[in-house]
Amino acid sequence: MNSTRSHKAQKVLERMGKKLNRQIVGSFAACVHCGMCTDSCHYVLANPGDPTYAPAYKADKIRKLFKRHFDWTGRVIPWWVNAKSVYTDEELEELKDTVFGKCTNCRRCSINCPMGVDFATFNRMARGLLVSVGIMPEGVAVVSKDQWEIGNQMGVLKEDYIDTLEWLSEELVDEFGDPRAAIPIDKKNADIVYSINPREVKYDPRTISDAAKIFYLAGANWTMPSEGWDMTNFGLFSGDDDLGGAVARRLYEKVEELGGKKLVISECGHGYRSTRCEGQNWAQYDLNFEMESSVTTMLRYIHEGRIKVDKSSNTDPVTFHDSCNNARSCGLTEEPRELLNLVAEEFREMYPNRAENFCCTGGGGAMSMSEYTPRRLKSAKIKADQLAATGAKYVVTSCHNCVDGLSDLIKHYKLGMKVTQLVNLVAEALVVPEKETAVPVEEIPAAAAGPLDGYKILVVDDEPDFVSFASAILEDHGASVVNAFNGNEALEVARRESPDLITLDITMPGKDGKQVFESMRKDPQLKAIPVCIITGQPELRKLIYDRSVPPPNGYIDKPISEESLMRNVRKILEIKQKATK
Amino acid sequence: MSHLLHFAEHTLQEVALLIMAIVYTTRLIWLMRFKAGKERQANTGKGDTSSRKGIIYSWANIAMPWAMESSRKKFFLYSQFVIFHLGVVAAIGLSFIIPYAPQLLGSQVLVAVLQVIIGAACLIGAYRIIRRIASNYMRAISSPDDYFSLVLLTVWFFFAFWSVPNNTSGGETILLIYFFMTAFFLIYVPFSKISHYLYYPFTRYYLGKTLGKRGVYPVRRYSEEARS
Repeated sequence: MNSTRSHKAQKVLERMGKKLNRQIVGSFAACVHCGMCTDSCHYVLANPGDPTYAPAYKADKIRKLFKRHFDWTGRVIPWWVNAKSVYTDEELEELKDTVFGKCTNCRRCSINCPMGVDFATFNRMARGLLVSVGIMPEGVAVVSKDQWEIGNQMGVLKEDYIDTLEWLSEELVDEFGDPRAAIPIDKKNADIVYSINPREVKYDPRTISDAAKIFYLAGANWTMPSEGWDMTNFGLFSGDDDLGGAVARRLYEKVEELGGKKLVISECGHGYRSTRCEGQNWAQYDLNFEMESSVTTMLRYIHEGRIKVDKSSNTDPVTFHDSCNNARSCGLTEEPRELLNLVAEEFREMYPNRAENFCCTGGGGAMSMSEYTPRRLKSAKIKADQLAATGAKYVVTSCHNCVDGLSDLIKHYKLGMKVTQLVNLVAEALVVPEKETAVPVEEIPAAAAGPLDGYKILVVDDEPDFVSFASAILEDHGASVVNAFNGNEALEVARRESPDLITLDITMPGKDGKQVFESMRKDPQLKAIPVCIITGQPELRKLIYDRSVPPPNGYIDKPISEESLMRNVRKILEIKQKATK
Repeated sequence: MSHLLHFAEHTLQEVALLIMAIVYTTRLIWLMRFKAGKERQANTGKGDTSSRKGIIYSWANIAMPWAMESSRKKFFLYSQFVIFHLGVVAAIGLSFIIPYAPQLLGSQVLVAVLQVIIGAACLIGAYRIIRRIASNYMRAISSPDDYFSLVLLTVWFFFAFWSVPNNTSGGETILLIYFFMTAFFLIYVPFSKISHYLYYPFTRYYLGKTLGKRGVYPVRRYSEEARS
């Protein structure tokens, strides 16, 4: 190895040798640069004329290393086959931009390659090599750290998770008037152990209660684990097999500890792929229980007559978006359609579909890499056109990543569609048997009361799914919402848009929330705008209040609920909430 | 027939083939030294497919232009691919027919068929050179080996085309060039991208095995055209 090579570059090359297997070597060696894969990539289609997005071009950024160090022609006459080594950290940064920022590992090029070159697989390998030397987008580092240290990729604390399940249980018990409707936690020897995406706890608890309703009405013997409940796995996106194995093992061991007979994985493309298809390989773990997607479970319940559904509950036209991980890596394409046809009146197919569908553009961890957001949204034009062509009002998908990716692009391209999941539609269509129906509890007034018509609110957060979540709530209540994903953008948008309120995250890449807040308070144009801090790190509150500027007008800890957000917003905007109860 | 042409048709070809076989064997041993990834999980998908089905589908993929969007939507490119590779088979076959079964070329039909195939492949080769140079996408992914391999094959097709009648009455130059080029081609192939056909069965095998196990292969496709 060259003595002028940086330590990180040296490590990347050494570790590459250990990562190579026959499949990857075959894919490296077999490419003939025929260009057949080019138009299969949504990045290429959305960036005409720019060859740097072409799958073969991106693949060569990794392949050149293989050729230079592991392939004989490249070792002897490197220039003849474009073999090149890597020497500096800057070159590794450039590679990072390609493997993380220009590819979602959707595998669409792989199935369009005449030679069977599986670019997505070795792109993931390259991500893993970079991660192993600490070169990765900040979001990837943050999420990976949370999953290593806290046990789930959104840093949801155990008490918050349990709290959420408990209040959902209370609501379910109230709704059905039956204590058996509660969510069982850590029940031993259950037939089903249900695992979820932490996004459900943090932003979308309705998916948990909808699933719980279905299990309850089906009379399932089920449980949710108090720990090791996260079926997502950032190891798939970061390429870190160690993380992938550790996360998968945590979940498998919990199911075994509980004596569960089957692990049911809630609707999440990468979670399903990681847990069902890859986890055992990363963890080198053989299982003594079965696993299936909740889509399969719900469909089976209907077939077995354990739940009854009425499709007239879902009358709006719906289309279905196949998650890449479900369709192109796990073959889960027919069950969701069958289920959708049972619970929705008008299903409109999207073209292309199934394994040929285009990526939601938020896959491969893209939603956590805010530095690539403009690039991601530009490439989303392909998906936007595909969605618009269906004319559907709802796009249904079995993936939380896709929910966020699609929501973001729908907003960006002003498609006016809504995104939902099968579990929501099934729950909506459930026919509740008379004997199971409790006396309806008094209707809880919607947190929505108190319109925000005429108000403009700037939501600042580096987590696109949080931005989508908060924006959707505020827009539903009539506010006009603008977004910013980092500190500099926040100041720019605030000056341009003069919002009535700013919700501000603290931890962001670049200029963080503390600096942004101080800048706003010192800026004559912005200082009068109310600011509500929303953060997942309450310990940072002191840093805000210790500053020599007027304090923020509100402060909310994540995870937030619709009610807490609206209560704070209304309070800050001095909207008098009409008492509805 | 001159001694030189006899040497080119026989000894030279045999030595070149031997070298190619040795290098290919070495290449395969090298590939097989890498461990194959293992899949521990149970099959996914609808249950009507398997690793075995996936492998067969994957191998046959190239003969099913409808199976991949890339070949379905770029049928012109796919047709070129077919003719170009038929040209390779024909030109290689010719290097065996001339020395070992020249009487076959007494059939004007066979001569015409070979010339049509090889001639078409030669024209396609020329088109591919232009495409590789003219398209910025193709330029961006091309190495010197890509250009050289394409030019080598196209020129080889040209001389193969004129060698088909195996007629030395006008001189042996064309045949000599064809056989020397064939020998060079055989020796050069394992070191170049032309060796892709050596890897093809492996890459498609493993992709098919994985995607078959996961219920992706054979791909289910419900196209808009099929709906209408």
